[in-house]
Amino acid sequence: MWLEILLVGVLLTQGPPPSGPQNATVTLSVNLGSHARLSMSSTGLVFPDADPDLVPFVAAVPAAITVTAKTRTTRNNQVLLTVQPSGDLRSGLLTIPAAMLRWTANGTGLVAGTLVTGSNQVVASWTSSGVRTGTQSFVFENRWTHPPGTYSVTLVYTLSSP
Amino acid sequence: MSARRGGIGPGLALCMLFGLPAIASAQRLDLAITPATIVIPTGDPDLVPVVSSTPATIEYRVRQNNNNPWTLTVLAGGDLVSGAASIAISEMTWVATPSPPFRNGTLSSASAQTVAAGVGNVANTSRGSITFRLTNSWTYDAGIYTQSLLFTLSAP
Repeated sequence: MWLEILLVGVLLTQGPPPSGPQNATVTLSVNLGSHARLSMSSTGLVFPDADPDLVPFVAAVPAAITVTAKTRTTRNNQVLLTVQPSGDLRSGLLTIPAAMLRWTANGTGLVAGTLVTGSNQVVASWTSSGVRTGTQSFVFENRWTHPPGTYSVTLVYTLSSP
Repeated sequence: MSARRGGIGPGLALCMLFGLPAIASAQRLDLAITPATIVIPTGDPDLVPVVSSTPATIEYRVRQNNNNPWTLTVLAGGDLVSGAASIAISEMTWVATPSPPFRNGTLSSASAQTVAAGVGNVANTSRGSITFRLTNSWTYDAGIYTQSLLFTLSAP
């Protein structure tokens, strides 16, 4: 009889087994997609009238536009900034080839160039993600043969990563 | 019959004497975190300067702890990795509620960081929330980065 009482006592005091430190493992997943953002310090350029002999290349006003290109792309992927004119410079029925506009450039990755109607011209190239800034300074080739008029053209910039 | 009782009885009494103190101080801890995969979605860094996960739920319980302290820690398995690209795990922070016992912090793969701490028992299963955050930089390579996080609930 004494033995049975002792066994019951042991069962009552043990309860559920103790546990040590408890671990839980989770996976953290961060999805960083590709993004691009392009901004210019000015969206308009003006080339004032000038005597072709005195000013054979008319500088734009403002003299330089600052380009800020932000891109997130995969590792070592190429990033391109190009520009394409909507057509030739136009004043009513009069036209002047877009190639009369050229630019010099400052900033890492930016290159000088000349506008070509119907074709994207490289403004800058980089590799991988990053925020880059540089300047473009446009000049207009001023010739006596250009008919008088107020000419305009739209430039389309494209920032891409193939 | 009487000899049998005399042989077994003292042995059982000895088990009870040595066993009781050990059982009384052995903590019982429970921990569960959901979901098993915590996702931080993408965003344009200019529009979403800090990307955040949806809150994960931490369920925990501490019993038989008397007045001893308990801690919940997290240890990262390494940096965030996506192929050859990586982001230092120290760029990842978290916000945890309620406070107390939860606290905010920064992930580390070198040493376990305290997520929550308290003293005594948590009699009923309690819940906390943890949200991970990453400053969204243009300089990161695009990709899906992963890393494992080890949460540990312990009491001395």
